[in-house]
Amino acid sequence: MAAAAIQLHGIHKTYPGRGAVPPVHALRGIDLEVDSGAVFCILGPNGAGKTTLIAILAGLLYHDEGRGYVCGFEISRNRRRIREVVNFASGHSNLPDNFTVDETLNYFGMLYGLAKSKRSRQTERLTEFFELGAYRKIPFNQLSTGLKQRLALAKSLINDPRMLFLDEPTVGLDPKVSRLIRERLKELNRTRQTTLILTTHQMDEAEQMSDRIGFLRDGRFIRIASAAQLKRSVRLQERITIRGRNLGMAVDRLQGIAGVSCTLLSDRQMNCQVDSREQRLHSILQSLLQAGAWIEDISIAQATLGDVFVKLAEPSDSD
Amino acid sequence: MSNLQSHLIRINAFFFKIWLITKKRVFHLFEILFWPAIGLVSVGLLTRFLHLDGDMVAFVLIGVIALSIVQIGQLDISYVILYSIWNKSLKQELAAPVSMFHLIAGSWCMGLIHALLVLFLLSAFSAYAFGFRLLQQGIIPIIHFFCGLLLTSAAVGIFVCALAFRFGGRAHVGANSIVSVMILLSGIYYPVEVLPRPLQMVSAILPVTYFLEYFRSFYGFSAGATGHPLVLGYVLAILYVTAAAGALLVAVHDSKKSGILLKMSE
Ligand SMILES: Nc1ncnc2c1ncn2[C@@H]1O[C@H](COP(=O)(O)OP(=O)(O)OP(=O)(O)O)[C@@H](O)[C@H]1O
Ligand SMILES: [Mg+2]
Repeated sequence: MAAAAIQLHGIHKTYPGRGAVPPVHALRGIDLEVDSGAVFCILGPNGAGKTTLIAILAGLLYHDEGRGYVCGFEISRNRRRIREVVNFASGHSNLPDNFTVDETLNYFGMLYGLAKSKRSRQTERLTEFFELGAYRKIPFNQLSTGLKQRLALAKSLINDPRMLFLDEPTVGLDPKVSRLIRERLKELNRTRQTTLILTTHQMDEAEQMSDRIGFLRDGRFIRIASAAQLKRSVRLQERITIRGRNLGMAVDRLQGIAGVSCTLLSDRQMNCQVDSREQRLHSILQSLLQAGAWIEDISIAQATLGDVFVKLAEPSDSD
Repeated sequence: MSNLQSHLIRINAFFFKIWLITKKRVFHLFEILFWPAIGLVSVGLLTRFLHLDGDMVAFVLIGVIALSIVQIGQLDISYVILYSIWNKSLKQELAAPVSMFHLIAGSWCMGLIHALLVLFLLSAFSAYAFGFRLLQQGIIPIIHFFCGLLLTSAAVGIFVCALAFRFGGRAHVGANSIVSVMILLSGIYYPVEVLPRPLQMVSAILPVTYFLEYFRSFYGFSAGATGHPLVLGYVLAILYVTAAAGALLVAVHDSKKSGILLKMSE
């Protein structure tokens, strides 16, 4: 079994209020275990506490209660050691404004205590990795958003981190840059076994990148599973849309099938909500054909991670 | 690579940062050289207008030079944090395994270089324009004078950093206020004896007061009531550096507890 890269038990964090601003209990008992070399994605609505959790793991914020280990180091006693072996990047990253790409990487290399030769090697390697070669003499504030973000990611790899925290790394980027970044991150995970902890509001990104997804709501993980398991675990109805002729004739028969509820929109189109496509599709089609309907087109809308998100984000009595 | 080496590299990081800022921001160089020069020229001309004799001119110009050194020395230290706050890059930098010790040491080294530069420039210019020679008393007094002021500037700079972790970019107001208090109470332009009694008690706890007394004593002015201005100056300056460093560590800790560090980088 792979060693745990992250172990958290009962982590709480309250931002103290100031003046008229009340305190915010942002994390309310986080328990989490992430294996070394995994890609773990944190999903959750705005304000759920994703950034707060990442900041605590990266040593930028101190938690109030609970115990945790990052790369085997206790998070409140070994902060310096942790910072040596992790790194982080967030969307809309800000770096020193008028430092060029090379100067930025050199500066951050120094902050991580790398010797000059290692810094030059890393700068070469990372500017190539993120296709920044042509921009090495350009100051940060003159780079486009996509280039800025690529530099922020290059910076986050300067110390060859064992674990990388990524807070919405592709927010606001065009699809081409987003894809480049995702590919590079996956490659990094594959070739160097870098553990990736990622937050995103892009469901396709979460699904493509991660082995497991933790759904955070109101400062707690309410579900931790793979994307496929999540889609299965949330009992979502699938919608089947049928187009054709004489559909109205089958309505009575369809009403009799358990787990199916159909609405006739016109004689040429009907929508059916079903609890399970695998079990119900056959009966639906059979009933239609027996009633003399003519089927021209069928489309089935599958539950997406987005549906799961919406479902999990809404408060329910059971949680 | 040894542990010491990696610490030196981290210290060098902040030295490098200030060097880049100075190189790129014409305004920064302006602050370092222009204002001290303006200060020296205008006060020098004032002494001429008032027909002050040589010793009096020395008295006033020593004050002006001392003020410039403290100003410049603190500027580099406070800028190392303020610049990151203005750029919103502080959390990126502090995510690295660096401590406030690296940060202060690196930027203070640059402060030392800039302060030396200002010292040479101002002393050369005051010798040329106003016939006042800073080095005529030998090298030891000037070294003590400079070191004392540089220590004081570190205390001011570190304290401004502590303010920055609490109040963000507005902290440079703190630097200006501290320097203004010094101008008023440390006897930059006049002996502290002309101050009202209660204010004199405040000047007695400011290190610059003593470094000025020490250096001016070589020009025939009284070495103050204690007779040991240098010792007192050093003791006070070291005390303030220690206190400011403590305040900084507490402020950094608090900023990570309250989330201000994150807020400042958004
Ligand atoms: N620095 C801070 N000071 C005070 N309160 C904060 C701070 N940062 C976040 N909060 C509050 O803590 C809660 C959790 O915020 P957090 O930024 O962790 O959420 P998030 O899941 O990252 O949201 P988003 O999807 O919008 O990025 C929110 O109510 C937020 O207002
Ligand atoms: Mg967030």
